[in-house]
Amino acid sequence: MKIRSFLLMAALAATSMFTSCEDDENGANNIISEYGVNDKIVAEQKATSGKNEAVLLVAFGSTWSNSFAAFDATKKAYEEAFPNADVYFCFSSDICINRASAGENGESRDYYEPRYLLHAIGAAKYSKIYVQSLQVIPGEEFANVVSCVKKFMNNGYIASAHLDDEYLAKLDEEKAIFLGMPLLNTYEGAGNDVDEVAKQLNELCKNEAAQGVVAFMGHGNPDNYDSFKANIRYSQLETALKKYSENYFVGTVDAPNTYKYDVHENMKNAGKTSGNLYLHCLMSIAGDHAHNDMAGKGDDYWNNEEGEDDSWYEYFSHNGYTTNVPLGSNNEPQGLLEIPGVLNVWISHTKNADFLEDAYHSMYPEE
Amino acid sequence: MGLLCHVPMSLVAQEEHSRGQHQEKDVVLNEVVITCTGTERLLKDAPVQTEVITRKMLDSYGGSSIQDIISGLTASFAFDQGDMGSQMQLNGLGNNYILILIDGKRIHGDVGGENDLGLIDPHNIDRIEIVKGAQSALYGSDAMAGVINIITKKREKEGLQLENSTRYGMYNDLRQHNGVNIGVGKVTSYTNFQLQHTDGWQNTARQFAEGKILEDTRTKTVNEYTNWQIAERLTYNPKKNLEFYADGSYYTKIIFRPTDGKYPSCDVYTYNLMYRNASASCGGKWEFNEKKKDVFTLDVDWNLHDYYYKYTARTYEYMKLNGEEYGEMNNEWYSVPFYPGQKNLQSDQQRIMAQAKSIFHLPYKNTLNSGLEYRWDYLHAPLRTVDGSASDMTAAAYVQDEFDWIKWFNVTTGLRLVVNEGFGVRVTPKVSTMFSLGDFRIRLGWSQGFKTPTVKEMYYRYLHVMGSSTIFNMGNLNLKPQTSNYWSASGEYRGQRVTVSVTGYYNKLDNMIALVNVPVEEIPSDVQMAYMGDGSGKVQARMYKNMENAQTWGGDVNVSYKVFGDLTLNASYSYLDTKANLYDSDHDKMKEVVIDGMAHHKWSASAVYTHRFTSVYKLGINLNNRGSSMRYYENNGNGKPFQLYRLNTTHDFGNENKKVTYRVDLGVDNIFNYVDRTMHPYHLGTKSSGTKVFGNFTVRFKQGKKLKAYKTKVLKNNNENED
Repeated sequence: MKIRSFLLMAALAATSMFTSCEDDENGANNIISEYGVNDKIVAEQKATSGKNEAVLLVAFGSTWSNSFAAFDATKKAYEEAFPNADVYFCFSSDICINRASAGENGESRDYYEPRYLLHAIGAAKYSKIYVQSLQVIPGEEFANVVSCVKKFMNNGYIASAHLDDEYLAKLDEEKAIFLGMPLLNTYEGAGNDVDEVAKQLNELCKNEAAQGVVAFMGHGNPDNYDSFKANIRYSQLETALKKYSENYFVGTVDAPNTYKYDVHENMKNAGKTSGNLYLHCLMSIAGDHAHNDMAGKGDDYWNNEEGEDDSWYEYFSHNGYTTNVPLGSNNEPQGLLEIPGVLNVWISHTKNADFLEDAYHSMYPEE
Repeated sequence: MGLLCHVPMSLVAQEEHSRGQHQEKDVVLNEVVITCTGTERLLKDAPVQTEVITRKMLDSYGGSSIQDIISGLTASFAFDQGDMGSQMQLNGLGNNYILILIDGKRIHGDVGGENDLGLIDPHNIDRIEIVKGAQSALYGSDAMAGVINIITKKREKEGLQLENSTRYGMYNDLRQHNGVNIGVGKVTSYTNFQLQHTDGWQNTARQFAEGKILEDTRTKTVNEYTNWQIAERLTYNPKKNLEFYADGSYYTKIIFRPTDGKYPSCDVYTYNLMYRNASASCGGKWEFNEKKKDVFTLDVDWNLHDYYYKYTARTYEYMKLNGEEYGEMNNEWYSVPFYPGQKNLQSDQQRIMAQAKSIFHLPYKNTLNSGLEYRWDYLHAPLRTVDGSASDMTAAAYVQDEFDWIKWFNVTTGLRLVVNEGFGVRVTPKVSTMFSLGDFRIRLGWSQGFKTPTVKEMYYRYLHVMGSSTIFNMGNLNLKPQTSNYWSASGEYRGQRVTVSVTGYYNKLDNMIALVNVPVEEIPSDVQMAYMGDGSGKVQARMYKNMENAQTWGGDVNVSYKVFGDLTLNASYSYLDTKANLYDSDHDKMKEVVIDGMAHHKWSASAVYTHRFTSVYKLGINLNNRGSSMRYYENNGNGKPFQLYRLNTTHDFGNENKKVTYRVDLGVDNIFNYVDRTMHPYHLGTKSSGTKVFGNFTVRFKQGKKLKAYKTKVLKNNNENED
């Protein structure tokens, strides 16, 4: 009897354990609830400011303290450039959002996810919306920003969280939804982005270029993610920089044929085999890559088995160059957002952003 | 349960007993072991070299956990307690290659290949047997490093026995154990409860992150955790030679990670880790030839091991939505928020095992051990596998013959046939020989191992965020099974007062599976965006791959010397060297890699003194030293050499004839306050917090039939003293 009742209990316990997994299926409710959280924040902001335009800045994100300061300054610059707009800042990286909001770092760092924040901007019915990508090249990350805005215009949300379709139709009709392109968008014609950024970088680095070699380290997309073939912007930028000085070189961490070895090869071919070398980061902020892959010093950054983890600093120092990493006033390497002339290129992209054509499709096509 | 739990522990009489008030005498009978062959053997006559941590050693050491016990009392193991598990190593090989058995049944569930040793209640252990290499045909050829068989305490068949043990140490280290045993008629019930908790500690606040050394991070060296387990076992003996049982257990563990982190780049966590383990099994044992003790056993069991994130702050998880409730967002990758208190399933591992085993005593001094095994492993991990779940089926058959050919020569041969649904059929042979010359033994062994890739090694993929490192680990469907050849030779002398054993071994593994760095392009493109890491896209991709080969070799020396009746000195030393080669496809060459965590020299030594001063008071003193030379790692630096000293005193009040007995343990761990303060995230030699004072109070109550002073079975040469 005892055995029988025990087996019965064991079977019941096992069954309840299987079914209790179900209580974790709270994804849809959580998504709806998070729309609510974002909607409230934006509604309050709109009510306070009374403004009717919104600018949404989309960065990948970071967990580095110096990057947070760069993001804050960027937001402030946008607020000055767009006095009639509420400016919102978001991260597309979940991990960065999670960690930034939970970390006790002076002040609370609540960043939001673009899809939720854009929903909230729609729910608050701003009459004009700018979405600005803070990416450097129109690559894979930018593709996600585009997809996010298109989803918004198509009301691609869970049914109970749908936006007012008439409002979206009106945005489309009044051509009031804009998508600001990444930094290195255009490369042809007068005043194109590549030339303009080259000019700004040269302004910053011309003294260094006079004393030695200047190498910029970008991120780049690995080959199989280079869906927009945007990696080419790095070589276009190098060409533009070389108009100012033959001492400029551009490479990346992830794009094939532009690794540090390739940059070194290019330097050797140009006869620059020694002397001063200045390293700069060609990313919107100076985070992990800038500090480790570019500026990392010491044994941990040299002579790794594959060589892939060797920092640019150690690699070039061991290859005959006197390597320097120029620091900004915060005693850190500088990201592109921290260079006023370059930030202005982004701001001009927002100001001159094109209306996002053909993004809206009514949810009720039969009507 | 497996075969071992059916071997009456009353056969094993290794504990001291009092014989009246004026006849106090410690008598330790010969240790009996079972792991190597499945039949009980005197330790000195075990055909395969077996290391035993006896009940006496366990009692005098007063360990807080399995890890504490094994690292303190043997030299061949190394531990690196992490959030994910024990990170145990035996002779250079990790958890994956160590088969941990509780009464002959393999424990279940792992996270990142690490078993959770919290599943084992240290207060419920009678003894621990260790057999190195894949030497036993009985337990699976995947035990390439060896087998640890934890034999639980044997419970009385009659009356009522209650036991409460509470241990408390610094850092709020609490260990609670309760046992209730009731025997009524032919039915016995044993209920075991255990709880383990510590607040964790921080050896250093320094951490290398954000390209510099941060001086005040809140990353802990060992995180706070709580786990508890309740287990019940019912046995029914309709006849003396027949036993049926049913048992079940439930276990849960939560690892609390710092929620008050300071630097988002390295010490901020938004979820805790939670595990659940459950088991149910039933079976029986029939001794059908009472005279020869031929045995047939049948066991069926089910195990579950779940792993969850339990959130402490709003956390976005990048997930593929799956369900009609998502409407047109269904099948889209989306950032789903989870709120404090909610949990999110990472993996659910289940296993069903069925085993039939028999032991026949055949003519001409042969003992035939044979069995059939069926095992089905199932992994449900919607977020961590492409298809949401995966499974694997393995069946095995084995025969093993122990042949006591002539008095001084034993040969034990075994064959294990493994059939795996994905990897076909494989036969692995095992041969052990033993030469006996008086108190001397010489043992030679050769065994082959075979280990098919686990379900996780093939299908699992997940992002591992640890401090400032972000790693994407991936399974590999192109893995080949691992094979091993293990050779060992040992000499042993077991005299009245001195025991010395010396063992040399060489273990060669082919196609060893290891998690190795691969280009980031290997990350599937659909999840790549979510897993770009910390903001500038820094993520390390790692994949399970077959190494070309790996070798471990070394030697173990164990010495025990009984200085006089009450004082014994023990020492163990282990030398290890390893070599592993990985084919580097990028550079088309072989590259030598370190087997992470390898140390050349490890040792443990102890002086154990026990004396019964009166009929109701016995004192025990155990002074222990253990240490390790530098531990080598591929990444994040090497672990510093260390040695630690530990003192435990035991105070037994009452004797076996009393209804209630008490025991007090008082001790100091890490007496000289050695603390490895190497900054995060670099490797530590030891994670010891420094000097730690602890105390343990145990009370035992018994009613009903009295314990027999001696329940022994006459085994050969049982009149010698031995530890």
